[in-house]
Amino acid sequence: MNNELVPQNNPEQSLPSPGDSSEQRLMFTPPIDIYESEEGLVLVADLPGVTLENLELQVQDNKLTLFGRVNRYVPEGLMGQHEEYGVGDFLRSFILSDEVDHERISAKLNHGVLRVILPKASRGEPRKINIDEGE
Amino acid sequence: MPVFRWGNAWDAFRDLEREVDRLMGSMDFTLQGVRLGRTFPAVNLYEYDDHYLLTSELPGMKKSDLDLSIAQGILTLKGNRTADDVPDSSYRRSERYRGQWQRSLNLPDRVMEEGLKAELTNGILKITLPKAPEVTPRQIPIQEGGE
Repeated sequence: MNNELVPQNNPEQSLPSPGDSSEQRLMFTPPIDIYESEEGLVLVADLPGVTLENLELQVQDNKLTLFGRVNRYVPEGLMGQHEEYGVGDFLRSFILSDEVDHERISAKLNHGVLRVILPKASRGEPRKINIDEGE
Repeated sequence: MPVFRWGNAWDAFRDLEREVDRLMGSMDFTLQGVRLGRTFPAVNLYEYDDHYLLTSELPGMKKSDLDLSIAQGILTLKGNRTADDVPDSSYRRSERYRGQWQRSLNLPDRVMEEGLKAELTNGILKITLPKAPEVTPRQIPIQEGGE
């Protein structure tokens, strides 16, 4: 089993503080795909309604976190006549292994879909270790 | 006198069936918050004074991927969400919807089909459906019937 990128199911973590804390916001875990490509691992996440300004992608230690804020585009307080989804923000985090080159992670957001490319860390040349002869 | 009667035996099964149904119904199979295995795309409908607003989450869809049509009070959304061009064997995880989809929605009555407006931004589709002006109730004269 490969574990370069392990999704976490932990929406109840400390959330990035929203501008207005009095506002009640919903949080969702976006569906994702992860596949291997020549460039490395590709993480694809559905983030409908998220714009570039409202998207935070962060690597801290070995954790990759994506957080997308969705500006409410439906009337406040008005219940839908028919509602199949709630409008809220998106949060999901992943554990990265050392196999991923943390410095070269790149991302693109297109029509509400985020693509993160996680290149594999290049393995260094084997280094010869000198052994000094003891006395 | 029969010791075993089918009638009663089936009753027991029915009880069991009911019990299982009740149990299943009370369980929540969905992973909390994870948007998986749902109807794609999800649609909401809101009512304003003079129009309806229909919204839908269509991440990754471009205008050219989307086909909207309206006929006889039924709005049909159609599209195809193509996956990235990689073999299935490269996938480690696949949660996102892919492929053809279609949804037909019965519109609330009295909507002006000509006034319909649709916009697609950042994977959110918004369709504005103006309500038709209220039709004044027509009085039906009643004539007194002769003898």
